[in-house]
This record gives sequence, C-alpha cells and structure tokens, in this order.
Amino acid sequence: MSDDSETDAELEMVVAIVRPERLGDIKTALAEVGAPSLTVSDVAGRGSQPEKIGQYRGEEYTVDLHQKTRIECVVADVPAEDVVDAIAGAAETGEAGDGKIFVLPVSDAYQIRTGATGTDAV
Amino acid sequence: MFGELLLQADAIKGGVEAVWVLVVSFLIFFMQPGFALLEAGQVRAKNAGNVVMKNLTDWSLGVLVFFAVGAGVSAVAGFLTTPETAVDVGAAFSQFTTPSSWITWLFGAVFAMTAATIVSGAVAERMSYAAYVFYVIALVAVIYPVISGFAWGGDGLLSSAGYLGQLIGNTLGSDPVGYKDFAGATVVHALGGIAGLTAAYMVGPRKGRFDENGDPSPIPGHSMLFAVIGTLFLAFGWYAFNVGTQATVLSVEGGAVTAFQGDALGRVALNTTLAMGAGMVGSTLVTTFWEGKPDPLFGANGLLAGLVAITGACAHVSWAGAIFLGVVGGVQTPLVYRWVVESLGIDDVCGVFAVHGSAGFIGTILIPFFDVAGFSVAQLVMQITGSLVIGTWTVLTTMAVLLVADSVFGLRVSEQDELNGLDRVEHGVAAYPEFGENEGAVPDGGVATTAPTDDDVATDGGVPATDTTSAEDSPAETTETTTPDTTETTPDTDAAAGGEET
Repeated sequence: MSDDSETDAELEMVVAIVRPERLGDIKTALAEVGAPSLTVSDVAGRGSQPEKIGQYRGEEYTVDLHQKTRIECVVADVPAEDVVDAIAGAAETGEAGDGKIFVLPVSDAYQIRTGATGTDAV
Repeated sequence: MFGELLLQADAIKGGVEAVWVLVVSFLIFFMQPGFALLEAGQVRAKNAGNVVMKNLTDWSLGVLVFFAVGAGVSAVAGFLTTPETAVDVGAAFSQFTTPSSWITWLFGAVFAMTAATIVSGAVAERMSYAAYVFYVIALVAVIYPVISGFAWGGDGLLSSAGYLGQLIGNTLGSDPVGYKDFAGATVVHALGGIAGLTAAYMVGPRKGRFDENGDPSPIPGHSMLFAVIGTLFLAFGWYAFNVGTQATVLSVEGGAVTAFQGDALGRVALNTTLAMGAGMVGSTLVTTFWEGKPDPLFGANGLLAGLVAITGACAHVSWAGAIFLGVVGGVQTPLVYRWVVESLGIDDVCGVFAVHGSAGFIGTILIPFFDVAGFSVAQLVMQITGSLVIGTWTVLTTMAVLLVADSVFGLRVSEQDELNGLDRVEHGVAAYPEFGENEGAVPDGGVATTAPTDDDVATDGGVPATDTTSAEDSPAETTETTTPDTTETTPDTDAAAGGEET
C-alpha cells in the first residue's frame, strides 16, 4: 500500500501451536528476542499426541482433539527464525504433543490507531 | 381452670407443630433449586435453559393444579378404596373453604411437586415443552394424588383400613397391615423415578446416545459442579422432607404437654444422615473398583439414592438398618443405571430411575427386615404389594397420558430442533450467550451433536479408538462436509455444493 512499506524488511507471521502450560515461558522468551507482541487463542487439534480416554458415568469415549494454545506473532525487523527458535526452545518438553510452528508471509499490515502501514505497523 | 389449661396445651401443641410444618415446607421447597441445578448440570449447555424452565413449570403450574384438583383427588382416592367410607367431596376439597386445612395443604403440595420435578431429568434434551407441561398437569392432578391418597390419607387402599390392608391381614391371619412409607420413598420418589423411566422410554433416546448397533455412547452434561451443588441443596431440603414428616413433636395428655417427641425426631434425623453418607460411600466404592476411578457424579447420585432408600424407612428402622439401606441405595445406583442403559436401552438422562426409582422400592420393601417393631411376614407382603401397586399405576397412567400427549402435541422436538438445542427452539434463549452461537462445541473441540450422518463419530467429537482409517485424512473438513446439521452450516454447505456444480 504505502511506499514506506516497500522496504527490504519483510513481514512474516509465526504461528505456533503449543502446550497451554508452556505459554508463560514462551512469552518470556519472545520478549527476550525483541518480539513481545503476540495474539493468543485457545484451540483444539490432533497431531502425534495419542488420544485420551474420557469417562462419563462409567462409559468410556476417546478424546483425540487436544487442548492447545495458538500463538500468532507478526514480525518485520526481528528475524522470524529467532522467533521460531525462542518459541521452540520454551515450548519443548520432548513428549509427543509439544506442537508445531509455521512461518507465513504477510502481504501488508495496518495499525488501526496510527494508520501506520507495512513494517511500521508491527 | 382445668379447661383453660387444656386449651393452653392444645394451643401450644398446635402452634409449635404448625410452625414446624411451615418451616419444613419452606425447606422442602428448597429442594426445587437443588433439582434445577442437578438436572441442568447433567445436560448440555444448549438445553440448560429448557431444563430449568421445566423445573419452574413443575413448581408454579403444579401448585395451582394441586390446589384446584390434586389435593381433592387424593382425598377422594382414599375414600373410594376404604371399606365403609363415604365419599365426602366437601371434606376432600376443604382447601377451598377451610382455613385450618391450608398448612396441611402446603405440606402436601411440596411433596407433590417433588414427585413432579423428578421426571424432567429423565426426559431432558428432547421432550417437547408442550407435551411435558401436559404430563405434569396429569401427574399433579391425578397420578400422584391417587397414590398419596392410597398410602397417606389416613385411610385408603394401602392403609390398614383399606381393602388391601384388610385383605392381607385376613389372608395371613394377622391384624390388618398398613403400607409403611414414612416420608415417600415410593409414594414420591419411586413414583417420580419410574414415571421418568417410562417417559424416557416413550420419548426415545437422545440423538447420538446409541449408535446403530445399539451401543451406548456417553453425552456428558455441561457442569459437574452444578450437579454436585444441586445434590447438596437437595440433601439439605431432604432433612425437612424426612424429619419434617415427623410432624407430631409434642404429646398432650390430660390437658398438659406431657412429652416432647425427641426420640422419634432424633431417629429420623440420625437415620437420614447416616443413609446419605452410606449411599455416597457405597456408590463411590462401586465406581472405584468397577470403573477404576471414584466418580463424582455417581457419588452425588449415590448420596441421593441413600436418602431415597431411607426416606420410607427412617422412622421405622434402627441406625444399623439405616446404614445398610443407605449402602444398598448407593451400591445399586451405578449398577441399575448401567442396566437401564445397556439392557433396557432407555436414555434416562439424569438416572432418575436408579436414584429415585429402584432405590425407593428396594429401601421400602426392605423395611420389615430392620423394623424396630420386629419382622412380620404380613408387613413384608404389604411392602411388596404396595410397591407393585405404585409402580403399576404409575407406569400405566404415564403411558396413557403420554400417548394422548403424543397425538396432540408430539412427544419430542424435531431432529433439527434437538440438534440446535431446546433453549433456542423452545424458548428462544441461550443459557450461556457469551460462549458463542455454536453451542454444539464441547471443550475438547469436538462437535457434540452435529454428527448424525457419521455414527462413527463419538458425541464428544472424538473418533472411537477402533477407527484408524480416517486418521490420515483431514478430520475437521470431513466432519464439516458430512454433517450439515446446524442452521449455520446448512446454507454454507448448500452454497459450496452449488458452487462446485457451476
């Protein structure tokens, strides 16, 4: 959109699906690499983590969608690799179900309050 | 002087007992929020408003019907089934004209409404509101009053003065026997429980409760906390239910108050307390060893079943008998619940038959074995006969009323309405509006009720452990496209299909 955004820095979004109980450490790690801004949502999903057996009135059922926390973090100046490393380092337990991290290109950004766009907006 | 004293003693007794009965009536009324929480907790969030609406209706419409019809029918039922007793309609409907009958009427009404409100837990999540209201009117006007008249009217079929009591006494060569059900283990609770079982059978199981092989698939309720807190409210009200039935607290003799009935009150209070504890412990032992883990919902159910089991017996049995009956009530709860689901294939949502029905019948039939008055064969025969009369009458009248309701209103809501939830379609509300429109979602992320076309999908949205074929596919997309059963997804799916054609 704006000419200012047509710089060498690229906008990238890091999407991480992690264990909910690791969120505190991940927030700390993100702040340490200079990318404190993030969006967090509760999600459920299925990956390599084995299913759990639920029970209601003695009747069993399987729960194969596990509670996870999804973190979205859009960066421009901070390299996405640093963000990925920070999240991965803080999220890892070594057990199946630690989650996944994806890096996506972002075409543009717009900060609602200031009207800033592109890399200035993040 | 003597006359004055006599008047004083009677006034003291009358005043004390009237206040006592009023207080326990108010406390029995407090069982209503207990039932509302207990039942709401055991249904999904999309039906919580409907369940509490049914509970509100039980009470509110019920007291009007019981005033206009039920109380009188109860008395008439007693007159008609007692030899050499004339039907006195004026006396039967004394609540219209006689102020001194009003406290007694209220005391009767709170028991009637307890019976009525049990049924809603069995038929929750799919019975139409109109059909339910129709059934409640019939229960409060006729089904319950006839039984309370038989057992509690002073005379009546099951009393020692009634036809059955005389017949059993004469046949066995003993004095006429009266049916022993002190506070209504069968008259109130088992009646409500077996009515609920019958109604749940007539209405049919909830969608998704059984797969195509008839195997049960659990549908967890939305709040274990509500269920357990409601149970404890009920237990609180139950003290009034049982101890309050000991309505005579003072003895008057020769113009003076001669005795306080502390022993009788104490026996009922102690037995009620011990049985509820034993019921919870008994049920929890069964679930711990049978299911592998102590189950809080069955623990709560077992506590109530212990209370139900002692309700008829609390004035008659020793404290050891109370503990035994409580344990029996608790232990049978998970077993009977599973039998109802797996063998009868009946979807009794809140397990009202296991908690109120079977516990009430068993506890009441066992009374003679623990009776402080001693064992009597005639009494045992009377207990069994009385339970059969109550069970048979309730099942047959419930079926008859529901057949009429089915032809007039239809017993259950449409399949689509059931999927959308009764809150929205019957009342236009959501119990938890801020938790989103998609009330089918359950906390593990599955779609609870939108899986009618794929019976392999469990109600929690998870896939049964045996199904490995679809694990590689994208399960979320599969679920969406094969189950277009909410109002939100139906148009989307249609549009998507149309788009592909063009």
